[in-house]
Amino acid sequence: MIDLKNVSKTFSGQNGPFKAVDDINLHIEENELFGVIGESGAGKSTLLRFINALETPDSGEVVVDGINVHKLDKQALRLHQKQIGMIFQQFNLLNNKTVEENIRMPLELYPYKESIELDRVLDFVGLSDKRTSYPSELSGGQKQRVGIARALITRPKILLCDEPTSALDLGTTTEIVDVLKKAHENFGMTIVIVTHELDVIKALCTRAAVMEKGKLVDVIDVARADVHEEFRTYHERALEVLRDA
Amino acid sequence: MPETLNIYLERVVEYAPRLAESLTESGIMLGFASMAAILLGLPLGTLLFLTANGRPMENKFLYTLSNAFVNIVRSFPFLLLVIAMQPAIRYFYGRATGDPIAASFPMMVIAIALYARFVEQSLLDVPKGVLETAQSMGATIPQLVWKFLYVEARSSLLIGFTTAFVSFISYSTVMGVVGGGGIGDFAIRYGYQRYENDIMYTAIIVIIVFVEVVQWLGLKLARKIDKR
Repeated sequence: MIDLKNVSKTFSGQNGPFKAVDDINLHIEENELFGVIGESGAGKSTLLRFINALETPDSGEVVVDGINVHKLDKQALRLHQKQIGMIFQQFNLLNNKTVEENIRMPLELYPYKESIELDRVLDFVGLSDKRTSYPSELSGGQKQRVGIARALITRPKILLCDEPTSALDLGTTTEIVDVLKKAHENFGMTIVIVTHELDVIKALCTRAAVMEKGKLVDVIDVARADVHEEFRTYHERALEVLRDA
Repeated sequence: MPETLNIYLERVVEYAPRLAESLTESGIMLGFASMAAILLGLPLGTLLFLTANGRPMENKFLYTLSNAFVNIVRSFPFLLLVIAMQPAIRYFYGRATGDPIAASFPMMVIAIALYARFVEQSLLDVPKGVLETAQSMGATIPQLVWKFLYVEARSSLLIGFTTAFVSFISYSTVMGVVGGGGIGDFAIRYGYQRYENDIMYTAIIVIIVFVEVVQWLGLKLARKIDKR
């Protein structure tokens, strides 16, 4: 489904060139829930952005569904990008548009044939009562659910998640993990999720790649935990962390 | 006191037709300038934004060219721009002096350059994530501009236009030198050259009130369309 072959990318930073991604090989299966973990600056987000060509590797190949992504011409590339949904750490909603208009955004750009009805997708993310609200009236978790709905409405083959819960508190993180899990069960797309939060990977993914300083150091089979076992209330977690020796 | 007031009012009534005429001339110049700002300044500012380094339409040649145009026009002392443009206006329009339409040409040039810069600034304030999102959805350049950038920048584009418009008023007041007329010319002619100070101050107050109204309307509307 997704094949990264010897991909590398160097950025020119303030302290000279900086190798964000260093000769990585990775294969992600169709329908897989795949995690990429690592500390900030490990190159996870850059790696994720290779898949929908928001970033172009300096060398190596990115093959998605048998298509070499970075060999596509502009038009074909836009079509490729339209088959892939993406959600972001900062949600990236249009603040001058309502929830409903934000979710419908991809449909305004392209006549998707198998899009999901707005009512259904709103219901799916639990925002039926917010359709005419503006993002500024929503909580962080609700904003991310709008982001997810916007990605789902086109029925993407692949859903890329870039630190989807890193701007959210713990309870909200559970909510978002639940929605993503449900989306995977219902629509069966390939999900690639980048995060530094191990709990999120543990609750969601079946396999995970570990990155360090641009290098892929390991790919692990995840022993998936039940979400609700893993995510307790803030109070319970606070007790555990602060009181137990 | 009431007598002085009476005299003043009589003089205002006497000058009212000429004041109205000068306001029409100002209106013509401001109308052309605004039209040019929106029809050409907005696209030029958008081009500046899109063609800069690292942007979706990165193009060094186009960027340098449009940037140079904006800088050169804006660094011209306006009066010199008006005079320097005289031969070109005469060539294109037939006459360069004595009418507000001829006087509108330099107004349009400065309006395009000034508003283009404001537009560029407004678009720079749009969060980077918006561009990235548009790209991730496979948006074309026109879609990026109309459905993302202008949507998120709309109130700032309007505030920029309001500020530019107030500057147009100020620029229009010097057009008297080429016979363009307008309220500024009216104030100079009667107030300065004929020592009719009351008429000059009346004209200035008209200008001030007009600017205040424009500014108030612009901000009010900008706030109304801003849902951020």
